[in-house]
Amino acid sequence: MSFSSAKYVLRETLSSVKRNPWLSIASVMTVMVSLIILGFSAFFLANTSNMAQSFESQVEISAFVHTNVPETQVEALETKIKAMPGVASVVLVTKKEGLAQFGQSLGKAGGNLVSDLGGTNPLPDKFTIKAADPRRVKTLAAQLQQFTELKSVRYGQGVVDRLLQFTRWLRWMGAGVIIAFGAAAVVLISINIKMNVFSRRREIQIMKLVGASNWFIRWPFLVEGLFLGLAGGILATVLVGTGYNWLAGYVSSTLAFLPVVRSAWLFWQVQTTLLVLGMVIGAAGSALSLRKFLNV
Amino acid sequence: MIQLTNVSKIYPNGAKALVDVSLRIGKGEFVFLVGPSGAGKSTLIRLLYREEHPSRGLVSFNGQNLVRMKEREVPFLRRKIGVIFQDFKLLPRKTVRENVGFALEVLGLQRHEVEVRAEKALELVGLTKKLKAFPHELSGGEQQRVCVARAIVNDPALLMADEPTGNLDPDTSWEIMDLLHNINKKGTTVVMATHAKDIVDQMKKRVVAIEQGRIARDDEKGGYGYEL
Repeated sequence: MSFSSAKYVLRETLSSVKRNPWLSIASVMTVMVSLIILGFSAFFLANTSNMAQSFESQVEISAFVHTNVPETQVEALETKIKAMPGVASVVLVTKKEGLAQFGQSLGKAGGNLVSDLGGTNPLPDKFTIKAADPRRVKTLAAQLQQFTELKSVRYGQGVVDRLLQFTRWLRWMGAGVIIAFGAAAVVLISINIKMNVFSRRREIQIMKLVGASNWFIRWPFLVEGLFLGLAGGILATVLVGTGYNWLAGYVSSTLAFLPVVRSAWLFWQVQTTLLVLGMVIGAAGSALSLRKFLNV
Repeated sequence: MIQLTNVSKIYPNGAKALVDVSLRIGKGEFVFLVGPSGAGKSTLIRLLYREEHPSRGLVSFNGQNLVRMKEREVPFLRRKIGVIFQDFKLLPRKTVRENVGFALEVLGLQRHEVEVRAEKALELVGLTKKLKAFPHELSGGEQQRVCVARAIVNDPALLMADEPTGNLDPDTSWEIMDLLHNINKKGTTVVMATHAKDIVDQMKKRVVAIEQGRIARDDEKGGYGYEL
């Protein structure tokens, strides 16, 4: 493309936007709304999967040691458990620590707990074990039960199954939302572009009859789509960015038990994707929907 | 320059616009196409700038076969042909000067040259006062003249006009006819479909009469030949 043609394309784009302000605003708004929906869906997906992960990470196995097992053997047991496949972490809470924690939890009344209990500590040593994969908790617990030193192994039987079902559902919902809203955004934008091009099909026809080549007609449309898509993308990133930051702050201050993703990396990833997507949709959408009107 | 050999055009709805038409128009000729409405005059013109394909037969322009012409060559054909359309076909969102200049923009000319030549063409049709008006702000006759200016602005080898005086008062009609006559004298071939009996009778040019899709008469220096 020569320099004078490039200038022509820019001039055409500008005058088209200037002479059809409402059509241009409508296009920018459509792209903006679609990208906002998409942006929030992306954050929703990131949060649901993060939430699922965080719920799952709270699943742990408590294994209680027989009170008559000597300290050295408890330590040996700890190394053995650590070596088991699928074990992520093992924390040993000794009788003494356990008693101190228990005393603290009673507050003032727990001040001289040992003497109140007659000088003996009735608590067992306890292992807190986390599995690398929460779905393997059940089998891991069964394996732990093989150790004769352990009196009992607990992992919230029944609750874990339901929790895993819930987290799986959460993940599917996140993915479902982004797919559904992504499709809605595509439909919305393509209807808008089709309307734009359709309203100008007569102009396109005239241009062709006066001797314009397909690219001569296509370039201004493409550049206009690119600019309008970019404008919609910028508006969407600003609104999604501030909206999400506000929402995340609000949720973490009022519903503190819900883990909210506030990673800068995710934030910029979603934002740049929205911007690039705006431009690509604008340009490619116009170019594609022009096709059938160019055969004159 | 123009050669039609056994050309037929049948539209998908079965209407026979042209039936086995053979016609030869030489370079520099001035030809009137006359005949009743719907006789096939417009179809014949549309075949020549490749808006329509013939159903049968051969159409050639300057030795080029328009039936076999590739899509991407069509713009180059149309740049050599100026067309004054019956319905003007002006770009609604462009000013008068931009509409005329568009025929030069497609050639890739500099903006300055585009404007100078567009204004010159508009001077010829007497519209210098409406350069920045939009088509919807013009009367039918003025729109017609913008269309004329656009058709002649790039000095085409062939100028075709479909009822160019249909919307004009007699005085303006004659101005347009003078314009076409002058352009023809400079070597441009002119083909004009018309119902204007007095113009045809006075100009004494070649007259091709088309009736029901067939050539009924082809006279050098003929008259309109139909009673109105």
